[in-house]
Amino acid sequence: MSTLAETIKFRKSKLNMNEVKLPVKILIHILVGGFSILCIIPFLFVIIIAFTAESSISEIGYSFWPNAWSLDSITYLAKLGKQLWVSYGNSFLITIVGTILSVLMCVMYSYALFRKDFKFRGFFTMFSFFTTMFGGGLAPTYMICKNLLGLSDNYAAIIVPLLVNPFNIIVMRTFFRTSVPYELIEAASVDGSGEYRTLFEIIVPISKPGIATIALLNALAYWNEWFIPLLYIRDAAHTPLQFLLYRMQAQVDFLAKNSGIMGPEATKLAQNTPKNSLRMMMVVLVVIPIACAYPFFQRYIISGLTIGSVKE
Amino acid sequence: MLDVLAAKKTGNKWAKRKKTLLLISMVAPGAIWLILLRYLPMIGIVVAFQKYKIYSKAPSLLNNIIHSQFNGLGNFKFLFKTTDSLKMIRNTLLYNICWIILMLVVAVTFAIMINEITQKLVAKTYQTLMFFPYFLSWVVVSYFVLAFLDPTSGLLTNLQKSLGQVPTRWYNDPKPWPFILTITNLWKGLGYSSILYLATITGISASQYEAASIDGASKWQQVIHVTLPHLRPMILLLFIISIGKVFNADFGLFYTVPMDSGPLYPVTQVIDTYVYRALMATGGDVGMSTAASLFQNAVGFLFLMGANQIVKKIDEESSLF
Amino acid sequence: MKKIFAVILCLAMLAFTFAACTSAPPASSTAPPESAPAGTPSEETPVEPAPPSDLVEISWWLHGSNVSDDAAVMEQVNAYLAGYGFKLKPIWGTWGDFDTNVVLAINGGDPVDIYFTCSWSADEYNAFAKKGAFARLDDPDDNLLEQYAQDIWSILPETLKSGAAVNGDAGYGVYALPGFKDYAVQNCWDVNVDRLTELGFTLDDVKKGFDSFGDIFAAAKEKYGNDFYPFLIEGAVLERMVTNTIIVTGDAGSNNLLSYYLDPTDVSKAVTGKLVNKFATPEYEAFVTKVNEYYKAGYIDPAMANTSQANDARTAHQTAGTYLIGTQSYSFGYEVQASAERGIEVAMVPTTEAYVDTTGSQGAMMAISSASAHKADTMKFLNLVNTDPKLMTLIAYGIEGVHYNLNADGNVEFVTEERNKYTPWRNGLGNVTILPPQQGEADLAPGQDFWTVFKDYYASAKAIPALGWALDQTPVADEIGALANVAAEYALTLSTGAAEDPAASLAEFRQKLTDNGIDKVVEEANAQLEAFLAAKG
Repeated sequence: MSTLAETIKFRKSKLNMNEVKLPVKILIHILVGGFSILCIIPFLFVIIIAFTAESSISEIGYSFWPNAWSLDSITYLAKLGKQLWVSYGNSFLITIVGTILSVLMCVMYSYALFRKDFKFRGFFTMFSFFTTMFGGGLAPTYMICKNLLGLSDNYAAIIVPLLVNPFNIIVMRTFFRTSVPYELIEAASVDGSGEYRTLFEIIVPISKPGIATIALLNALAYWNEWFIPLLYIRDAAHTPLQFLLYRMQAQVDFLAKNSGIMGPEATKLAQNTPKNSLRMMMVVLVVIPIACAYPFFQRYIISGLTIGSVKE
Repeated sequence: MLDVLAAKKTGNKWAKRKKTLLLISMVAPGAIWLILLRYLPMIGIVVAFQKYKIYSKAPSLLNNIIHSQFNGLGNFKFLFKTTDSLKMIRNTLLYNICWIILMLVVAVTFAIMINEITQKLVAKTYQTLMFFPYFLSWVVVSYFVLAFLDPTSGLLTNLQKSLGQVPTRWYNDPKPWPFILTITNLWKGLGYSSILYLATITGISASQYEAASIDGASKWQQVIHVTLPHLRPMILLLFIISIGKVFNADFGLFYTVPMDSGPLYPVTQVIDTYVYRALMATGGDVGMSTAASLFQNAVGFLFLMGANQIVKKIDEESSLF
Repeated sequence: MKKIFAVILCLAMLAFTFAACTSAPPASSTAPPESAPAGTPSEETPVEPAPPSDLVEISWWLHGSNVSDDAAVMEQVNAYLAGYGFKLKPIWGTWGDFDTNVVLAINGGDPVDIYFTCSWSADEYNAFAKKGAFARLDDPDDNLLEQYAQDIWSILPETLKSGAAVNGDAGYGVYALPGFKDYAVQNCWDVNVDRLTELGFTLDDVKKGFDSFGDIFAAAKEKYGNDFYPFLIEGAVLERMVTNTIIVTGDAGSNNLLSYYLDPTDVSKAVTGKLVNKFATPEYEAFVTKVNEYYKAGYIDPAMANTSQANDARTAHQTAGTYLIGTQSYSFGYEVQASAERGIEVAMVPTTEAYVDTTGSQGAMMAISSASAHKADTMKFLNLVNTDPKLMTLIAYGIEGVHYNLNADGNVEFVTEERNKYTPWRNGLGNVTILPPQQGEADLAPGQDFWTVFKDYYASAKAIPALGWALDQTPVADEIGALANVAAEYALTLSTGAAEDPAASLAEFRQKLTDNGIDKVVEEANAQLEAFLAAKG
């Protein structure tokens, strides 16, 4: 056990990094900083449009300085009432449970593939990756999920279909390869550590950046998913946020496009909808929570420069 | 003596077996999921070769498949029965190949640059901001592009007007679109792509840099000799994977962002948009849609195996299989 | 040996997961149980074996619904239905999910009894009747309509019935019960009378037609400035209005390739009765030249030439009244509604009489799925829903006193709060003419019975010769797929006048259509139409 502890300690030892020269530094800030600003401006734009009056949009288009402001989009969304909070709750639950389970499965699967002494690693690599290339299409998957697995109107219906992502498995395997020295496993094995213990007590702690990245990708996938609920969820009690908003948006778009076949009641509805600002307000509603959760993952992804300070 | 050896041997054998079993048990949950949600549905691939009909006596997916007639490669015909075949395949391949290379170079560069920023908070802020475009759907992105290019009230249109120029009719003129699409794609995907590289750099053990700096390596040399070699497996992996998708185009980007504008088709028509429009016009036949994706995937798979073989020659460890 | 062991282990775990998965749903499903109607003792419970039920459960997949709480309504509906031996299980499909889900359900044989279907949603009536998804209702061996649905079938207008008869999986017949709602087509110039009068023109000037709008637009441009676009058009509708052609059902989606010319003086006659390549006609060329002239003069908003932008822009201009003449596909009472909503006087100038074509007559229908386990009962149920005003009102409007109130004139006024939680799409329900009119509708026919006026208008619409015919794409699906892409590239730009050089564009377009097999499609379509007319007699 002592060799192991030493190895870890050595890897985490404090380090004096020499910094890059000033001109290079400035160049980096101009490039990365400039690009960052380009990325955030549209989002500010989203917020502005979310509060822009529809009349202003039809007159002068999207603008940073609209003619008139309005809260119509909020009023419109308020119609959802309690459902909005129920859906927020569902989305949180699904994202948290889904992320934990999917990361767990991904880490275990990819760890086995990472092990050179695993007899079937070639087979299982192919076994997972093959499915990213060939699929049977929507209808059979739908039938199996719904009729065989009973994925219908329950949380499992949204969590299960996204549990495994072969892309993430392969990426995680590569993370292990680049960050875990193979001797560590051998050392652990010599020390008599069990396979599961080696994985969770030795490998996982030093693979945090990779795991955090996979967790982030999975969390985003769960949070943003609207198509799977569209297939499997009908009752309001299980409807997640993205699906709720998607449906609302689809309805608004449809009414605007086809009021002809809808009759007078619907035409009226279509004309009173703050279509543009509503679309942007929905973006705000969806992005804010996940953006707030972002630093939690990021903590592990950008920490290279401070490794020395995090002593165990 | 012999007995002891034999006992050790069997002990080893059992230990090996136990290890294999344990490792299999780690793979098992994922493998079972793959069987249920990926391999079982593959029965549906048959439909690509069928004239799919509902078996009206007792309709169920299985019955329908069993009773539908085979029509060979008939469902694939619509992909090639058009004078646009070459154009859409060329567009799909060219865009994908250019973007794979461009994205790779830019994302790696950005990851390295962010890693060199010593103020942690600043680095984090940049990285967070870079991720924002990824949150936006293509529909929302298309409205931004429209905000710039709108023929009557777009920001660029207004700029051109105020400079006394005749405004470009952006949605009627295909010439600038390869650039617009490239910029949009890079802008939206960079944050996402660079994070994988960034996490890999972060995972590099500090001792490696320490050793290099003791040897007197400059920052630049450290990048060349420590960072890049460590990034290589990830770079090659992402490269192989994206090569496997060269026949699939991002539908949202090519359909939504140019606002489905007809005159732009010469530069925006890709396989996915063609298939979508063809299926919309013909009532979305299951056989044809399955055939289209099977074709794209099969070709992609060949490309992927090719890329994998090449990588295997260069660096055995980094290959996919 | 090890391999075998591994495989056995895998299988064991697989079996375990199967067991876990199949037993999981009842446990983890917290879906609120359907509220049992007070008077039905046969509500199934998951714990005990279900008592022998004499109620037939009918599942009905609807479209366009906006329903978040149907518990109260369904309680009453089912209490009422129990007297007839039915129990209703509605599936409230809507614009965001209907198309995807219903196609999956049909293709996979889900046990649904009734599907909403029509000629414009993804479960397209003609295509799915052909694929065997829907039961034939007038099957000579087992004529469901005759046996169980005489009440509704006998009151439906002839044109609707003949529009419903199509070439399906089990021969030429009826595969869905048409809903009784607005079903005629009449394209009109939507005129902003306020501005027209201000410019010194009258509706008579508009009646002169498309080719003579130039002077009116020039005057408008002069008076309201360069940013005013007087001509508010939907490219495809405009083209049909100008050339007197119809929407050919089964043609390549939103961009029709085929033209079928009506006689503008008598819409029950066709000019030649043949289908032709729309874009190769001299009529189309003349139209393109003229509309291009209008576009170049600045009469048309460039946004109209952009598929994704056009709808938003059009709605915005309509609401703001910033247009002079628009294109509109008319439904009864539109001008009154539009005038009220836009705060201007809107007039409709029709380009033809009202007519009934396949698309119009197949606007909303109810099909019995071939997967339904009790087709006869389902037919009985449809007959009941479509002829029983009490039941239909309950389903369409909700509960009186909760979702709506009847005012002194007996017209419906909604209680907004409750109605927002329960708004099925009325026109998708079936026979709407047995409902009490809404106040807004009653205002359209002051002093008269709204539905009488409504029925009279639609009864006056003449059936076109090809009513009921829809193109079966199967033999030419590949060509249509390719042609649809070609048409999407050129048609809208040409039909809105936005092409830089329309003559060159059109020539290129025509060549590409020929190269991609338009002639084969035209030939096939005409053969099918002839066969259809022969079968129809």
